[in-house]
Amino acid sequence: MNKTWLVLRNGIISQVTRKSWLLVTCGLPVLLALIMLVPPLLRGNPSGASASSEPVTSPTVEGYVDQSGLITRIPDNVAGLLRPYSDEASARRAMASGEISAYYLVPADYVESGDLAYVLPDPKAFSLDGQSWVMRWVLLVNMVGGDEGLAQRLQNPVNLRVRALTPSTGPEVGEGPAYWIPYTTAMILYIIIIMSSSLLRSSLGDEKKNRVLEILMVSLSPQQILTGKVVALAVVGLLQTAIWAGTGYLLLKVAGGTINLPPASQLPVAVVLWALVFFILGYGVYASLLAGLGALTGPNVPGSSTADFVIIWPMIIPVFLMTIIIPNVNGLLAVLLSLFPPTAPVAMITRLAVGGVPWWQPVLSAVLLGVTVALVFRVVARAFRAQVLMSGQAFTSRGYFALLMGREEPDTRSDCSNVGLE
Amino acid sequence: MDAVEVKRIVKSFGSTRAVQDVSFGVRNGEILGLLGPNGAGKTTCIRVLLDIFKPDQGSVSVFGGPMTEAKKDRIGYMPEERGLYQDLALQRCLVYLATLKGLSASEARQRVGQYLQQFDLAAHRDKKVKELSKGMQQKAQLINTIAHWPDLIIIDEPFAALDPVNTQMVKDLMLDLKRDGRAIILCTHQMHHAEELCDRIVLIDRGRVVLEGALDEIRRQYAGNAVLVRVTGALPEVGGVLQETRHNHTRHWTLAEGTSPQDVLKHLVSSGAVVEQFEIALPSLEEVFIKVVGGPDPGRSPGGEAGDA
Repeated sequence: MNKTWLVLRNGIISQVTRKSWLLVTCGLPVLLALIMLVPPLLRGNPSGASASSEPVTSPTVEGYVDQSGLITRIPDNVAGLLRPYSDEASARRAMASGEISAYYLVPADYVESGDLAYVLPDPKAFSLDGQSWVMRWVLLVNMVGGDEGLAQRLQNPVNLRVRALTPSTGPEVGEGPAYWIPYTTAMILYIIIIMSSSLLRSSLGDEKKNRVLEILMVSLSPQQILTGKVVALAVVGLLQTAIWAGTGYLLLKVAGGTINLPPASQLPVAVVLWALVFFILGYGVYASLLAGLGALTGPNVPGSSTADFVIIWPMIIPVFLMTIIIPNVNGLLAVLLSLFPPTAPVAMITRLAVGGVPWWQPVLSAVLLGVTVALVFRVVARAFRAQVLMSGQAFTSRGYFALLMGREEPDTRSDCSNVGLE
Repeated sequence: MDAVEVKRIVKSFGSTRAVQDVSFGVRNGEILGLLGPNGAGKTTCIRVLLDIFKPDQGSVSVFGGPMTEAKKDRIGYMPEERGLYQDLALQRCLVYLATLKGLSASEARQRVGQYLQQFDLAAHRDKKVKELSKGMQQKAQLINTIAHWPDLIIIDEPFAALDPVNTQMVKDLMLDLKRDGRAIILCTHQMHHAEELCDRIVLIDRGRVVLEGALDEIRRQYAGNAVLVRVTGALPEVGGVLQETRHNHTRHWTLAEGTSPQDVLKHLVSSGAVVEQFEIALPSLEEVFIKVVGGPDPGRSPGGEAGDA
């Protein structure tokens, strides 16, 4: 069996069977489930222990008693959620029988005072994040004479679009999808890369500490070790992300929510595919560099906590420059950042999410990034051989970059003591 | 043909020369002792041999040529202490490492199972490695070293954590492997084990080979003018004995210059003593070691080889 495959398989199994990984991966969705599902359940079961003896009313159906005569029609989209009652006594009876969970009392002077009473059987059942929006929407529509379009405009009177007089190469600056899609995509990419790379670094550090790497190096080439581990932890990182995303989606469905993005906010399939390509390549570069760091320092050595940042900071640059990249998606800075391999994964995804990028640029960027992955891989594999058996050394940027430049050993006397000349 | 031939290797780390002009070889069916004090350069030599470090000068030939990935499967290496996944179950860890040496999963499971029985570890197969005692971990490492039936076995301090029973078991195993035609390199600074097992030794100090050869030749080479004598009954007066030490009934006589063992034997026989034992006293390997390497050197690394490279 291919040895790289064996390392890969072992890397995945070892990681996903770790208690800490299982705890984080499963604990987060469980926590989310508790946050999302428990409060509504409690609201639906206000009387606690007596719940089993009383019918639980649907929390989505409420009633109203309109003493002002304002409400003449219920908009179609909330038609089933509100029931009219002629007087408070009948509304109260309906609530007692479980027909409705609560009712609104619209007083005669509502238009002047804006006061509205919300009557419910138990104060514990009240929640600010309930469905008061239904009543607000009904009142608003009726106040503007039933014109739902006008009501919508009143709800969101300003959709600000800024237009500069000087020509722009990108889309107009605006709030909304043009900004949050690139931001979100880039941040997800960034988080997955950091998460997977850190796992890799910690795993290598442990193996170095317990000298398993020494055994592995007598069985495998550094390239085989690196490839197996880098791919394994990419799979683990993606698996964790998929579990979190899947659980989040499921919980949203269970809780009755939906994700209906407007067409302008949905990413084209091509961009999603490019995101995958740039994730793999970006992960290849940064995971390899962090693997080199793991081999150089090992776990819990001075400077290792700041070392990650030194290596990762180029990836963060485009995140800080998004306000410049997004409105000038084909500007010089945006193009340079998306072609320069260390910044390319985040910068190119940002530009692609905005749109209007010439087709050859992502291709060229991916090729350059691919070449960089190969080079970094080669350099780190060589460093692996030289550094993997040294005792844990304190991290220094100088030492690390000297290592990547091909100097096998530290050349100071103090460092040599770490070499353990046996 | 030598299983391994190391020729004049030099390896430096920065300004420190770890190994200088070291040469040695080991043949199939032979145990070579790679001896030396802490920090002498033994582990660096082994790592150069295993192609983990590239030598600055010199060459290494393994199974008749340079090291290749395929040849690595014919080598079993046991570093001093550790070298196993602490959080994995013992059997899973050993099977995984054996598959990396080219065994199929079923083959690896079968062999590891057999060795676990042989080494009295079968009952612990599902325990995590870190839950095992030091001695058990040492045995597990040994299983990892030999499970793929390597042609060349390199073992660094295999007896460190073993009790006398297990020490003898490991010695017997090493002798069996030697009889089976495997080439074995034993790194140790426990001279009595090397004396018992090795056919030849290479003594390294401060990165240089200071002594090498067959064990008997070396001991003869360092033999002083001394004899071991045991007689029954009264002991006649013997001239030319500078110093006498006793171990039970055996006397160790250091002879004066100009007095030969033949003179002493002749005198004993002619005096009518009943001689039960008379032999040239050879120094132990430990005595040779101390003689060659000398006392403690403040410039030498204090920490043990502990594997650090």
